[in-house]
Amino acid sequence: MLNIIELEHRWLRYKIKSLIPLIVITISLFIIAIIIFSFSSSSNKDTLGHIDTPIITPSTQIKVELKKEPIIKVAQEKRDVIKEQITKVHPKQLHGNKEKSQKVKLSPSLDFMKKMQNAVHPYYQNNTADDSYETDTQQAIQMKSVPKVQTVKAKPVNISVKKIDNRIQIKRQNTQNDIYDIIKRFKKNNNPALSLFVAKKYYELGNYRQAYNYALMTNKINNEIESSWIIFSKSLVKLGKKEKATKTLKKYIAQSHSSSAQILLDEIQSGKFR
Amino acid sequence: MNSIFVNSKDVFLDIVNANDYVQLDRVSTIYQSLKDSIKKPLKMILLYGKPGTGKSMFLSKLHKDLSSSQDVYLYQTPILDESEFYKTLAQDIFKVKYSGELNFTQFMKIVENKKKEEVPVVLLDEAQLYSEALMEKIRLLSDTRSVKFVITLHKTEKEDLIAKEHFQTRIWESIELENASSTELKIYIQKKLMKANCFDSANMFTPSAVNRIHKITNGNYRDSNKLLYTLFDLYTIYEQNHQLSKLKTSQISSKLIEMAAIHTGLINA
Repeated sequence: MLNIIELEHRWLRYKIKSLIPLIVITISLFIIAIIIFSFSSSSNKDTLGHIDTPIITPSTQIKVELKKEPIIKVAQEKRDVIKEQITKVHPKQLHGNKEKSQKVKLSPSLDFMKKMQNAVHPYYQNNTADDSYETDTQQAIQMKSVPKVQTVKAKPVNISVKKIDNRIQIKRQNTQNDIYDIIKRFKKNNNPALSLFVAKKYYELGNYRQAYNYALMTNKINNEIESSWIIFSKSLVKLGKKEKATKTLKKYIAQSHSSSAQILLDEIQSGKFR
Repeated sequence: MNSIFVNSKDVFLDIVNANDYVQLDRVSTIYQSLKDSIKKPLKMILLYGKPGTGKSMFLSKLHKDLSSSQDVYLYQTPILDESEFYKTLAQDIFKVKYSGELNFTQFMKIVENKKKEEVPVVLLDEAQLYSEALMEKIRLLSDTRSVKFVITLHKTEKEDLIAKEHFQTRIWESIELENASSTELKIYIQKKLMKANCFDSANMFTPSAVNRIHKITNGNYRDSNKLLYTLFDLYTIYEQNHQLSKLKTSQISSKLIEMAAIHTGLINA
């Protein structure tokens, strides 16, 4: 006589064994389906997001909002690198006839800043509190005599756009925050281009002590930047240290034969630059 | 009184009985062609196929059908000793009793002396078990046209070789038997059950149940018989244990088919 119980157990084991591949395939298909579904839904969201990003106001008025941020051009060493973009986007381009006008916010790309971060050695890690020092080539200059830099608030320059009599009038608004922002970045990556920009900015704003200080920092990081020497000397003159300025310039000219430095030296000595 | 399952179980006992022969369309055609071949002046007829395809049953049925009208002798079990083989044939066909050893030359003399008008037909089952030397003698015997042979062979490489070497030029008819298709298997099962008056159990074989059985047995009659025997055995035990309510009785349970297949070794579990 057959052993039914034992046979049923064997059958159950066989059944489970034969169902395993089916279960595995089903589960994997289910997981794949979920992944595909989530992937496709997320990509759909992204696509929609791109379309919806521009802020569009359905009105007949033309509103242009400006968002200004400074951009530093390192290679060219231009004085002002604030890039402003005003873009008028016609609604038809994006949404056909549904929208008549729209406003677009554009902000400058600051990716180059990130790239710079890796290229420069940290400065503040070793020099945290000491803001007066000597450069390698200027051992004669006593940096300790330089007074500690006081933060001077720069007057903000405002930029606003007003629509008056169908004409767009643009006013530039430069705030102290821009400089702070650059200083913050400089503290992070010690990029001499940033400190030079700050030095120039402070010089423009009349804060010669800070201009001197940042020019000095730039010089410490890279003593071959002509502009840092010039701003440094100019700031010294403005701070009433004409002699120090001429001495510094002479040393620099002797080393680099810079014509700009020579012109400045001549101007200082002749009293043209005060 | 036996239950339907006990009666159904007995239907599938693996015995070769011409009375249990089930007529199927394809098999009937083959059978008819075999019968026709015997009437022809053929020296030898080869019946071959895989084990369990019904070769033995075929020979048995042929013997039963021809014995009333023709001089036919069936040897289901091979006679492996040569002398014994000749002695058996001499006694059965030519009614010559021979004491002591009988060799091929002596046997041929008997055949010549006792030549019959109507050529006797000798049916040899499981011919692959005969030695090569004996098969050669059988070939020579068939060449005399004194005896006609119908032999069955398992279809394997080795047996194909035997067929090639010994019978290629002599066999005028070779018939291959194959496994049953799903439809043929269903007819086979139902006909067998109905022959034994097991109508209820015959009705339990739905196409899906038969397909399942066919998938397991590959349509092999011997394997199918084995499986069905165990299947009805299981039904009987469930009935005795009053566990039949667990199973569907309107159709054959897939679970029991698989259990029977596991028990018979057709499914490796």
